[in-house]
Amino acid sequence: MSVEITMSSIFARYTDNQLKIPVEGKTVGECINDLVTQYPDLKRMILDKNGKLLHSYDVFVNGESAYPQEMAKPVKDGDKVQVVMLIQGG
Amino acid sequence: MLSQEELERYDRQIMIYGFGEEGQAKLKKASVFIAGCGGLGSPVAIYLAAAGIGSIRIVDHDKVELSNLNRQVLHWHENIGGIKVDSAKVKLEKLNPAVNIETSTETITEANISQLTADCDLIVDAMDNLPTRYLLNKTAVEKGIPFFHGAVYGLEGRAMTVIPGKSACLNCLYHNVTIPREKFPVIGVTPAVIGCIQATEVIKYVTGLGELLTDRLLIYDGLRLTFTELKVNKDPNCEHCSNSQGR
Repeated sequence: MSVEITMSSIFARYTDNQLKIPVEGKTVGECINDLVTQYPDLKRMILDKNGKLLHSYDVFVNGESAYPQEMAKPVKDGDKVQVVMLIQGG
Repeated sequence: MLSQEELERYDRQIMIYGFGEEGQAKLKKASVFIAGCGGLGSPVAIYLAAAGIGSIRIVDHDKVELSNLNRQVLHWHENIGGIKVDSAKVKLEKLNPAVNIETSTETITEANISQLTADCDLIVDAMDNLPTRYLLNKTAVEKGIPFFHGAVYGLEGRAMTVIPGKSACLNCLYHNVTIPREKFPVIGVTPAVIGCIQATEVIKYVTGLGELLTDRLLIYDGLRLTFTELKVNKDPNCEHCSNSQGR
């Protein structure tokens, strides 16, 4: 059992085209750290130098916004985490 | 009251269950503000004009460039170098001469936004930058009028509808976060999808049909061809809407 992180297709190049990725962790932050351990090229895209999620990303757990304190949000086996990139193009 | 010509022009949409002549009359009375006349603004304006919205005000300060033409379908090769809103007005008036098209080349700012949106029933966000999107959102909340958000990147898009006083707003979703404005990848079909969703929401709001895309962020992934809905909560501390009561 594990948590599943869904990434945008935009990041497929950093995750060997895997967009639904099983990760381990008890919080969103632990899960994201596991994610970037599995796919190190993703780290500089979504985390700052202190390991904090960049402001340009939002996290949803089981389809619901995890704001605020996203990284500390507890997760359990079977939860689905979605990392959403903020976009502004028109 | 609809004319015989209007009854014929809009016959197929009047046939939609719950729409009827009453819905068409509501569209005819509506006044829509579209911020931006590019990738998103083009399909929004085209489909709202085709549907018979009474008045459309489009604001965009840009001129048409060759690199716009892969997606900004209101502008054609012959319009390169011309003012976007002029190009748009010509096409939209040819599409539906009954629609009143108003244009402005002003840059949207905190100082002029209230006057630019004056007398409009709703605001469509077809911009290309977050600061102006937040300004539009804030104005819509202050005026108590709906706000229809859309954004694109590559083959991905987002859409959300804001009903002040009732639903989460753009600032509840993004918390005033900004990102550097830079050239972004996009192909025309992406803003076509998202712009049509925004126009659909406008038509639904005006006619009272269906359920709006409120408190939900719609994520369109064209590469996987999926639509995902994520729940957005109203932020009790939102600087834009926490004190709004709606109109």
